[in-house]
Amino acid sequence: MSNLEIGITVTVLMMVFLLMGMRVAFAAALGGTIGLVWILAGRMGFEKALFAGLGMAGTIPHSKSVTYALSILPMFILIGFLAFHAGLTKALFEAAKRWFGRLPGGLAVATVFATAGFAAVSGASTATAAVFARVAIPEMLREGYDKRLAAGVVAAGGTLATLIPPSAILVIYAIIVEESVGKLLIAGFLPGIVSAIIYAAIIVSFVSFRPGLGPRSQVYTWTQRFKSIPATTPIISVIFIIFGSMYFGWATPTEAGALGAFVVFVIAVLRGMSAGALRDALLETAKLTVMIFTIIWGVLVYVRFLGFAGLPEAFSVWIQSLDYPPIVILLCILAAYAVLGMFMDAIGMLLLTLPVVQPAVLALGYDPIWFGIIVVKMAELCLITPPIGLNCFVVSSVRPEINVQDVFRGCAPFFVADVLTVAVLIAFPEIVLVLPQMMLKG
Amino acid sequence: MTASPSPAPRLDFADRVLSKLENALNMVAAASIFMLMIVATVQVLGRKLLNWPVPGYIDIAEQSIAVFAFLAVAYCQRLGGHVRMELVLDKFRGRPLWLAEAIQTLATLVLIAVLAWFAYGHFERAWEFGDSTIDIELPTWPSKLMVPVAFGVLFVRLGIQLVGFLRLIVTPDAVPVAVPLIINVEEMARAESDAAVGDDETPPSKDGSDSR
Repeated sequence: MSNLEIGITVTVLMMVFLLMGMRVAFAAALGGTIGLVWILAGRMGFEKALFAGLGMAGTIPHSKSVTYALSILPMFILIGFLAFHAGLTKALFEAAKRWFGRLPGGLAVATVFATAGFAAVSGASTATAAVFARVAIPEMLREGYDKRLAAGVVAAGGTLATLIPPSAILVIYAIIVEESVGKLLIAGFLPGIVSAIIYAAIIVSFVSFRPGLGPRSQVYTWTQRFKSIPATTPIISVIFIIFGSMYFGWATPTEAGALGAFVVFVIAVLRGMSAGALRDALLETAKLTVMIFTIIWGVLVYVRFLGFAGLPEAFSVWIQSLDYPPIVILLCILAAYAVLGMFMDAIGMLLLTLPVVQPAVLALGYDPIWFGIIVVKMAELCLITPPIGLNCFVVSSVRPEINVQDVFRGCAPFFVADVLTVAVLIAFPEIVLVLPQMMLKG
Repeated sequence: MTASPSPAPRLDFADRVLSKLENALNMVAAASIFMLMIVATVQVLGRKLLNWPVPGYIDIAEQSIAVFAFLAVAYCQRLGGHVRMELVLDKFRGRPLWLAEAIQTLATLVLIAVLAWFAYGHFERAWEFGDSTIDIELPTWPSKLMVPVAFGVLFVRLGIQLVGFLRLIVTPDAVPVAVPLIINVEEMARAESDAAVGDDETPPSKDGSDSR
């Protein structure tokens, strides 16, 4: 068998493991380990290959995990878990309400911008959706909002958390495709804001046509508006710390993440977070951290084997040989992600496919940073689409009076908005690239 | 010891003993994350404000990664925290389900045994040659030791789960003991939303009543 054939065989084998319910991290590592031994056996004979292949696989977990760039992950995850105790959601929603409440569908627009603000201290879509389902939905329903709109905006707003830093998934993308973590995080900032603006525009236009969906709310004076700002200072300071330190090169991403986590920690303690709550936040952080590290090293064992098999190069060559314009191929790849994402967890899906897909997309002439943002946006899309759009289930779980079908229907306009956002980012890649290009330090 | 007699007392006992160890290791991982936050904050503030950086900060940060990247791996496995696709598995019930679970657990067990063995070799080399980091020359063996230790605990956890699944293959109707169960998307959503309690909010009531 040629190396390429071994590559394909082992990949199929790995898919069988996955379908049998093996954990993604272990299925990838097992496929990679078998593949390494198999490929080396062709070069040095089975006995030597067994020792060399297994030795290689056994070294990868430590050598690939213990790199400074990865130390940012627990910091970002910790910020997210501490943020719940720092009393930020109500303040954000209140401020957003006073500033945007006058627009048609004002409370829904306020929810979008409040979730975008909360995204600055959270990298988790589902958690953001859960928090705002508690804070924003009751208020919208009280004001007579359509329950589908109220639920949809929260489920969709949650997805902003992964684009706006801190974002664990962007760090993971950076590690797997060997790009600068700082640049990817900074690159997510503007697309996150653009997404929020497009969400808001969709709400305003929908409610303008059908005012019954979201009645106009109370008008606030400018004094009231400015009075709502100080309570959001913690969020603003965290944005300043994370964004500023990376953009201007004051600190490494990990230092920025740690300082951000420390600030949120201090605020949470000042607001009376108990020792028990701190312990729980840390334990949850540790659990999520080990999950992400496990999948990273598992996939990297597989990636090492892929390199030997030459699968990524072969796929690139094949993609380039296709007689279609790059944009058509890109759209096909994105459509494939949209379908795959309906059935797979986003992190697993991206990690397993990117090592092969990303080089091919680069070969088509697209920018790696830009593609990272697009692909993460696609992965987020899957959180609001049936059948397993987790954000919708989260909203319905917090608000059992709204059934999950209604949440999915409420998300439909935001799905359109997301497709529009991706189109905008494809048409104007500068939105993604301008900030990372202006950065002082990689 | 427990209030109600367990349907599989020995398995249950092994599960509980190992759980204690896993919880402790997760606690160590959590503490190391907190320490990293403090050290990195002191580092960045010290460097920027006082021009006094933490000596060997990068070395310390890097070596500490091994603690939180590995030690809780078995804890996460026990709670079913490592992601997987349950699309196909979800369609199975009873014996076929337990059989598929047993096979994938066995495959993972073999993989982890191999990786633990060779990761130990990686540690042993660092120990024998006295490898150290570049800046402040921290020995690298403690961090390399984390991998075989964590994988060793994971190995035992997988062994317990394998026995749990084999027991269910023999008696498919028995109460599952010491195995992770498939949770559907609704249960997952509930767990997620329970974890994310907003401010000014009372936690959702956990009276166990099923809302759907």
